[in-house]
Amino acid sequence: MIRIELIKQLRRTGYWSVLGVLAAISVAITAIIGLTSGATPERLGDYGSVVPNSSGFTMGAIALNSSLLFLIPLAVAIFAGESVSGEASWGSLRYLLAGPVARQRVLASKVLVAGLFSLAAVAVVAVFGLVAGLAAFGWHPLSVIDLQHASPFATGLASFSPFQALGRTALATLIVTGTMVSTFSFAVLCSTLTDRPFSAVAGGVLLTFVSRALDNIPGFHSLGPWLPVTNSGTGLWSQVLFQPANLADYPHLALVQAAYAVVFLGAAWVCFNRRDVLS
Amino acid sequence: MIRIEWYKQFHRTKTYLTLGIVAGFSVVLTIALVATGSGRTEFVGDLPLLLVPRSSGLTVPVIALSSTMKFFLPLVVALFAGESVAGEASWGSLRYLVARPMSRSRILWSKAAVAAALSGMALVLLALVAMAAGGLAFGWHPLSVTNSSASTALHTDVSVTGVSAVLGRLGIAVLYISAGMASIFAVAFFLSTTTRRPLVAVAGGVAVTIISRVFNADYLPGVMVVNRYMPNNDIDLWQHQFTTTADLSGVPHFLLLQAVYFVVFMGLAQWWFTRKDVLD
Repeated sequence: MIRIELIKQLRRTGYWSVLGVLAAISVAITAIIGLTSGATPERLGDYGSVVPNSSGFTMGAIALNSSLLFLIPLAVAIFAGESVSGEASWGSLRYLLAGPVARQRVLASKVLVAGLFSLAAVAVVAVFGLVAGLAAFGWHPLSVIDLQHASPFATGLASFSPFQALGRTALATLIVTGTMVSTFSFAVLCSTLTDRPFSAVAGGVLLTFVSRALDNIPGFHSLGPWLPVTNSGTGLWSQVLFQPANLADYPHLALVQAAYAVVFLGAAWVCFNRRDVLS
Repeated sequence: MIRIEWYKQFHRTKTYLTLGIVAGFSVVLTIALVATGSGRTEFVGDLPLLLVPRSSGLTVPVIALSSTMKFFLPLVVALFAGESVAGEASWGSLRYLVARPMSRSRILWSKAAVAAALSGMALVLLALVAMAAGGLAFGWHPLSVTNSSASTALHTDVSVTGVSAVLGRLGIAVLYISAGMASIFAVAFFLSTTTRRPLVAVAGGVAVTIISRVFNADYLPGVMVVNRYMPNNDIDLWQHQFTTTADLSGVPHFLLLQAVYFVVFMGLAQWWFTRKDVLD
């Protein structure tokens, strides 16, 4: 079931063009920086700072940093929102459900494949940035300045050997993917509720915007830690590139994302099981 | 032709809904400002401008335009432009439309005109509702703006503008932002002629603003070279009107850039649509 779903989605040109755009942007950023301003420091998250031409490993992180605010959430919302409602909009959902397979399994395989594509979206950004960066700036140790802890007495400088840098980039990719879980789950829920992929994708994007807007209103400050998408949560990934890394906020982030996933995916499960599928 | 198209597009639940959300945004924004402390200084834009909402209701349209011009308004514009042709195709009625004794370019341009009118309407509505709601909440007083990029510890750069002058400048701001949406409009409209799935066209228009945001030197200094050629990056120049120095030197370049994007993508749309094999 999963294999069939995967093959079906892998054949869609739309999905490949989304991943292609993400890859192209990572490469383009590297090319522009490499050609014009490799020595200008770039920011990572809220406090990180790197000099691109010091090491190719900076570009994986820079590419992630510049795409994670809008581009990656949009891609995730597209993959998740298309999952069920895409099938409905083709009019083939009822035939899929008429097969001798439980609805839960249909939903589970769709969610799993959409999840794989979402992970791929984040990974594509990091990998293409990394490869382009290594080609442009070479295989050197990575140094990151932590501006929050930089002072006249301490530089806040972290250095990683090439292989460590590779591992940290992989870790950062996973954490960025983790922050997308709530957006993903909500888009899946919307996808089970509507026959129009457009509404489902818009729902996922809307969640991030409403959440960020609430996060930015000073009066709702106490709400901040419990919102699905926040500025502090989005910036947290860059901690793995610092020394010492402040990992204290990760368990809370994981808990909040897991809670939203349980609620939204649970609701999707209930809706999809009970829905009268007409398309 | 334009009248028929206008009738068809305007009296749609989706159009009402979109315009309602736009107007609702301004109202919700005002309520949020009242509820969470209007005496607090708001940081607006990248300069940033410092505004105290309570000092004048005219701060609300400035905040509303600033907070929507980079994503929300482009989304609305992409929605109207992306739906126009692809929407007709997804209903399956495009072929009946082009079967009528009328040139395809006239059909295309009447659709473009209506989509543009709706987009402009959304923008004007946003500003007007914000002005009305802000006026009701805080009164219409002269607008006092602190330009924090020109201020130092010893000198605060404050510009105070009278009510009628503010109205004029907001009018210019609305015109400038509408001109700045031309690139997004044209891209979404072009994509709309190439697909029968409105989602693709709308997502394409939104992707243009997002890509523009990625290649923005304010957030990624390394891409300075391309910054000036990105479609949505200089959309905030109108904010300089409310500062003492009013540095508007980037405006002609930005308007020219929009014109180039507009001509190229509308030309592509025209080229594609007049040759397309319409099957839907």
